[in-house]
Amino acid sequence: MIELLNVSLNLDGKQILDNVSLKIKKGDIGVVLGPSGAGKSSILKMILGLWKPDSGCVVIDGVDICGLKEKELLKIRRKMGIVFQGNALFDSLTVRQNIGYFLYEQNEMESKEIADLIEEVLTFINMPGIQRMYPDQLSGGMKKRVAIARAMIYQPEIVLYDEPSAGLDPINGKQILDLIKKVRDKGSTSVVVTHIMNDAVSIGDQLTLVNNGIIVENGSVHDILNSKKEFVKDFFYEIFQDIELLKKEQLV
Amino acid sequence: MESFKLTLLKLQDYTLLTFDIFKGLSLFKKYWNDILREMYLIGASATRLIFFGGLFMGIVLTIETGHQLDEFGAKTLVGRTVALGMIRELGPVITGILLAARTGAKNASEIGGMQLSEQIDAMRAFGTNPVHKLAMPRTVAAVVMFLPLTLIADITGILGGMVVAKLSLFVDSSFFWQQVFDSLAIKDFIAGLTKPLLFAFFISTISCYYGFTTRGGTTGLGKNTINAVVVSCAIILLLDFVAAKIIWEFF
Repeated sequence: MIELLNVSLNLDGKQILDNVSLKIKKGDIGVVLGPSGAGKSSILKMILGLWKPDSGCVVIDGVDICGLKEKELLKIRRKMGIVFQGNALFDSLTVRQNIGYFLYEQNEMESKEIADLIEEVLTFINMPGIQRMYPDQLSGGMKKRVAIARAMIYQPEIVLYDEPSAGLDPINGKQILDLIKKVRDKGSTSVVVTHIMNDAVSIGDQLTLVNNGIIVENGSVHDILNSKKEFVKDFFYEIFQDIELLKKEQLV
Repeated sequence: MESFKLTLLKLQDYTLLTFDIFKGLSLFKKYWNDILREMYLIGASATRLIFFGGLFMGIVLTIETGHQLDEFGAKTLVGRTVALGMIRELGPVITGILLAARTGAKNASEIGGMQLSEQIDAMRAFGTNPVHKLAMPRTVAAVVMFLPLTLIADITGILGGMVVAKLSLFVDSSFFWQQVFDSLAIKDFIAGLTKPLLFAFFISTISCYYGFTTRGGTTGLGKNTINAVVVSCAIILLLDFVAAKIIWEFF
């Protein structure tokens, strides 16, 4: 389980998060959504322990990670995989080296075992045979899938996704969302940060709407769509519009 | 007051980065391949630049000093001037400045680009200390490779001087070399070969620091790359002055 308890974060004099509390259950896909600059990616970086909150705490499976040193954090990070917004694939490394990066660095497995695991995750993301390619030879959707494969190579209990479908065409976007569901079905807990409400609604078990560093609404898709808050209505305007259209069509 | 505080904070960050690089030396074996690759990129592939930089510096030095010395009927001393000038000062400084531009820009832009594209965060997320993986191999490679590069600049500079002295000033080559060897003492070599080590360390650590602190997209990357080169060059000139003063005072 992932918990953020009264977390506040200030960067360069700007309040990024203000008293944010959030809980994502084991095996769920928790979606954090909100407009650009709302503080969504900061939540992911704090879950990962890359950033420490000014106050409050981040608890992963019952362990408060905020007071941990880098070495202790590494044990917690081994439970997590992350897909960065811009994929963050290492340009100078091949797909094979990118996906196996963590395992090669740890130097705890034989090369053959690592190669087999890479083959396995590439088959899982439906992209076998691209091991020797470099990131700049891949399309946006392919890079995203490789980034997901890299996050999955050591079978993490938690997978974090930062804007997974942003900038992709609808077909590639759907493939990524399907992949996220497929990863969840393998038993991982997922945290997805996005500003695309249709994605949030289609994959999220639990939705958290953030604006200006504070949580505006939190709950299931049903709870969110039935919220009376003005900001929620404004944010989900397009979805409400679609629902209205559907209702009208049904009446006709 | 605010900018003074900011400068102190930057110095603190730089010092911490430097300590982290030293700590990373314990992973020398693990990152051996990275060190070798950097030695090639920083050192071997800069040979041509340093060769021509040193050569032309020696030629210009010979022409300028040769004609001045000729006015006093002392053009035969040109070998001595070129040897001392190249070994003690111009060899290390010209190599340092050329490499500050080349290596400094390379380090700051590569690491800065990785910072902006979240590759540094990805490394940390996957349990790698980016300073150990990126800055330590670059610093070790620079310290190892700057010395032979400086020697190349020194030798080509003196050779260029010899050719110009023969063709333009009509100084016999054997006489030129005799002047070179007679004039050089151990302390000249100590001065000339200590400086590149210092320059290499500071160029590498400063440029890595600017890379890691890159913010603000491509504009920030450009700004930090310029800062890395400018600060490295300024530090080279400052260190050169300090080293020259120490050597003249104490040796």
